[in-house]
Amino acid sequence: MTTALRDVARDTAARLRAAEPLNATLHWAPELLDAEADRAERLEAGASLRGMPIAVKDNIVTVEQPTTCGSRILTGYTSPYNATVIDRLRAAGALIACKTNLDEFAMGSSTEHSAYGRVKHPLDPARVPGGSSGGSGALVAAGVVPAALGSETGGSVRQPASFCGVVGVKPTYGRVSRYGLVAFGSSLDCISVFGATVDTASRVLRAIAGIDPRDATSVDRPPMEPLRMPESLTGMTIGLPREYFPGDLHPGVKAGCDRAIARLRDLGATLVDVSLPHSRYAVPTYYIIAPAEAAANLARYDGARYGNRQGDGDVRALYRATRGLGFGPEVRRRILIGTYSLSAGYADAYYNRAQAARMRIVQDFHAAFDSGIDLLFTPTAPSPAFKAGEKTDDPVAMYLADIFVCPASLAGIPAMSQPLGRTEGLPVGGQLIAPAFEESRMLATAALLERHLDAAAEVR
Amino acid sequence: MTTWETVIGLEVHVQLGTRSKMFCACATSFGDPPNTNVCPVCLGLPGALPVPNREAVRLGVRAALALGCTIHERSIFARKNYFYPDLPKGYQISQFDRPLATGGHVAVESPERGLLAVSIVRLHLEEDAGKSLHDRVPGKTAVDLNRAGVPLAEIVSGPDLRRPAEARAYLVTLKQLLVYAGVSECSMEKGSLRVDANISIRPAGQNRLGTKTEIKNLNSFANVERALEAERGRQQRELENGGVIRQLTLLFNAGTGQVRPMRSKEESHDYRYFPDPDLPPLALSGRWIEEIRGELPELPAARRSRFGARYGLPAYDAGVLTADRAIADYYEAVVSAGADPKAAANWVMTESLTGYNESGRFSASAQSLAALLALIKAGTVSHQAAKKIFLELPADGADPHAVAERLGLLQVRDEGALETWVEEALAAHPQEVQRYRAGETKLLGFLTGQVMRRSQGKADPKGVQSVLVRKLESK
Amino acid sequence: MKVTAEEVRRVAELAELAVEDADLPALTAQMDRIVEFVAQLQELGSLDAAGVFVAGPAESPLREDEPKPGGLARPPAAIAPEFVDGFFVVPRLGAMEEG
Repeated sequence: MTTALRDVARDTAARLRAAEPLNATLHWAPELLDAEADRAERLEAGASLRGMPIAVKDNIVTVEQPTTCGSRILTGYTSPYNATVIDRLRAAGALIACKTNLDEFAMGSSTEHSAYGRVKHPLDPARVPGGSSGGSGALVAAGVVPAALGSETGGSVRQPASFCGVVGVKPTYGRVSRYGLVAFGSSLDCISVFGATVDTASRVLRAIAGIDPRDATSVDRPPMEPLRMPESLTGMTIGLPREYFPGDLHPGVKAGCDRAIARLRDLGATLVDVSLPHSRYAVPTYYIIAPAEAAANLARYDGARYGNRQGDGDVRALYRATRGLGFGPEVRRRILIGTYSLSAGYADAYYNRAQAARMRIVQDFHAAFDSGIDLLFTPTAPSPAFKAGEKTDDPVAMYLADIFVCPASLAGIPAMSQPLGRTEGLPVGGQLIAPAFEESRMLATAALLERHLDAAAEVR
Repeated sequence: MTTWETVIGLEVHVQLGTRSKMFCACATSFGDPPNTNVCPVCLGLPGALPVPNREAVRLGVRAALALGCTIHERSIFARKNYFYPDLPKGYQISQFDRPLATGGHVAVESPERGLLAVSIVRLHLEEDAGKSLHDRVPGKTAVDLNRAGVPLAEIVSGPDLRRPAEARAYLVTLKQLLVYAGVSECSMEKGSLRVDANISIRPAGQNRLGTKTEIKNLNSFANVERALEAERGRQQRELENGGVIRQLTLLFNAGTGQVRPMRSKEESHDYRYFPDPDLPPLALSGRWIEEIRGELPELPAARRSRFGARYGLPAYDAGVLTADRAIADYYEAVVSAGADPKAAANWVMTESLTGYNESGRFSASAQSLAALLALIKAGTVSHQAAKKIFLELPADGADPHAVAERLGLLQVRDEGALETWVEEALAAHPQEVQRYRAGETKLLGFLTGQVMRRSQGKADPKGVQSVLVRKLESK
Repeated sequence: MKVTAEEVRRVAELAELAVEDADLPALTAQMDRIVEFVAQLQELGSLDAAGVFVAGPAESPLREDEPKPGGLARPPAAIAPEFVDGFFVVPRLGAMEEG
């Protein structure tokens, strides 16, 4: 049967095949693409994403494709249920294109920690695409799909979006159902969207957002409005938090931000200085809370009921061998840190303290927005894409890649990255942060900036 | 020679009587084929999330109110982290430092100390684990997750009990309260009520508590008492021999009556509790709590006392009739239908309960029983005959008079008929008549019996007696 | 506060993660580095007044007590590494024995 959607399926298959050297995909099949096309064909013509092929990070469960979370412990695991977002994408007429490669269990900032090999940056294979949603970001940047789903716990869509030169949007925590997202840091995890353009990302986000009775942390809000680009930014106040513009900021990143700031001013926005004094505690706070929640979330991977089983002897030997061999070194480190910071004698010094510090970071944002600021603008990442292997020796060096994206995750507020330009051929991203549930304001501003900025231009 | 004081506290887990599980919509029914009442949530599959069951919360609140607890309008679910084959997520969703309820008490009749107020430290909600079977597959462990996720209420008493017998009395009272409140079946046999007992001893007069041990795997109230007796003895012997009590978990062997330590290490678990980030705080409105309070029936102690006062029943009878809410309801229905309270009490405690204990239902409707008791009172049927009639009464409320008639059991009270039988009996026993008239008045019983025989049991014994006496004393 | 190899072992046991002896020194050093990094939070002094931040809704929704089928596209047998007579099968308890 030849239909327009089957053509899309075939075209997507060809692009996926051509992009194989990136190692961005873990599972895809032409037959599955055809099945998606046929399913979408049966929908009415008005479906909002009709015919759009969308890549899905391999920590979002699907029935027809395996879900490995980039880990050996789930090699061959095929979920017996679909994540809510999969049902919603299909209801909107999208085609699930493939499952994408990621840092194992979404823990990482470079997609070098996958058990299935690292993902290569589409513009320079010696470099990383960012992480943990590097596979999804790379596919959108390479033009294989117009949009992709990733997940964020501490910036894992915004940061790769910045490295790869595409749009990455993290909604308010609770805006999108987590049912079917393999949990890493439950109070931080957000399914997030990559798009080639702001409009594409916005449309996908609108299709997947909404309360889900199967997710007790999803919030009841009116449906998101369609993107409405304003004529200008007159009347809008944009804050520039000084803690995000250190003196030693990478010159290419600084140049990209300066150009964008000038453009925002030209468009009529009022730019003001602001301080978020607890910013420097965000990464340490994150690296206590997220691993603690992760340690408990990953306890279920024991080889007993599903997944890849190892070891013989008694049941304890099964657990230890399965987990010791099945988890990679970064995941093991985080489980150990998480367990340590919750254990008797340490919980007060670490976990409880981190929760209190988190509140301080939340209050910094509230104070800024309460003072008349509509949005915050910052660089997304402290540098452009770094070389593979550059940061894998020191775990803390990798953690610091999240320094600008992690605070909004801790506060549960929406934030996004959009490409601002290139430095020595590598993309630089800028971040907008909005108050809770103000995605529309953020996306509208980003769309206007996108219109007035050549994201491929060299800024330095 | 030291006098030792025993200190006992009990942790009881009850399965709340909901139709679906605590955090997912799987059925809670007992006895289904293994791993058929399961879903991504209770299997602990990647990506699954919990959503709490409103009815489980309602029953938990109702149980806490029945125990006189303070309900906390905001409570928090927490993860209790440990590994075990029947714990699918590697943690149990429970409550830790912000439980549903605290600060209640239960009035328990101690065999030696009179009425005790046993404190309830807390009641919290949690999910059950699955079942591990060790002899199903040789050399391996078989796991059934049907039970994983079933709602439980954990009820923790204060260390207020001083004797194993008091522990048993506490359990009987607690079960009765929870069954009355309609929150659980509380069956130890079916596993819907489980008990862990904590016990320590100390020299009488010492304030500081001794080291306690915990006893698990108890399957009846009697065995709770036996296990505590055995462990108290063991601790006493140990201390009197100069030894020291180590904090252990013990298992009770019902066959040998002994306790022994579990083979695992004796260190206490580090459960690393933290608030479950998948579950926002559990919020209860004051209005809902009051609505649930209104669902509580009159509780056993109050009902017992009212039965004593209203129906003039002795304490023992009131106790038997209120042991079970269904029995109490039935008894009151019989009295409302017009029966004399004492006659009804006697009948329900004997004839009715025999049938109820066997079948779980009352064979006669309350109206029928009341009518039957009225027939006895009026002398229309004898007590013996009534027992036969009772067995023939169907549950849908037939008229006992009609049944009596059908069975030919209506008592004869017609003077003429009675006189005839009496004359016959007197004529047949002239020596006894003479002896009676000479002063052996107790022969009246024998003569009455003779008349009854001649009437094939149908004569009204009271009428017979009065005719007999009249005839014997005249002349 | 220095993280010791002994503590790493203890935590690995709590987390049921096998750690090879050969890996222990490097792992201990990495853990120590991370713990040193996150200990910056000690600078924040007393934090009790801050309260705990709850992401998402302020109160949990509650579900009606209606049993429903599990909605699994394939049965437990299909995903289990070992499944016999309707049961998930794992090795004997051994060290985890409760008697």
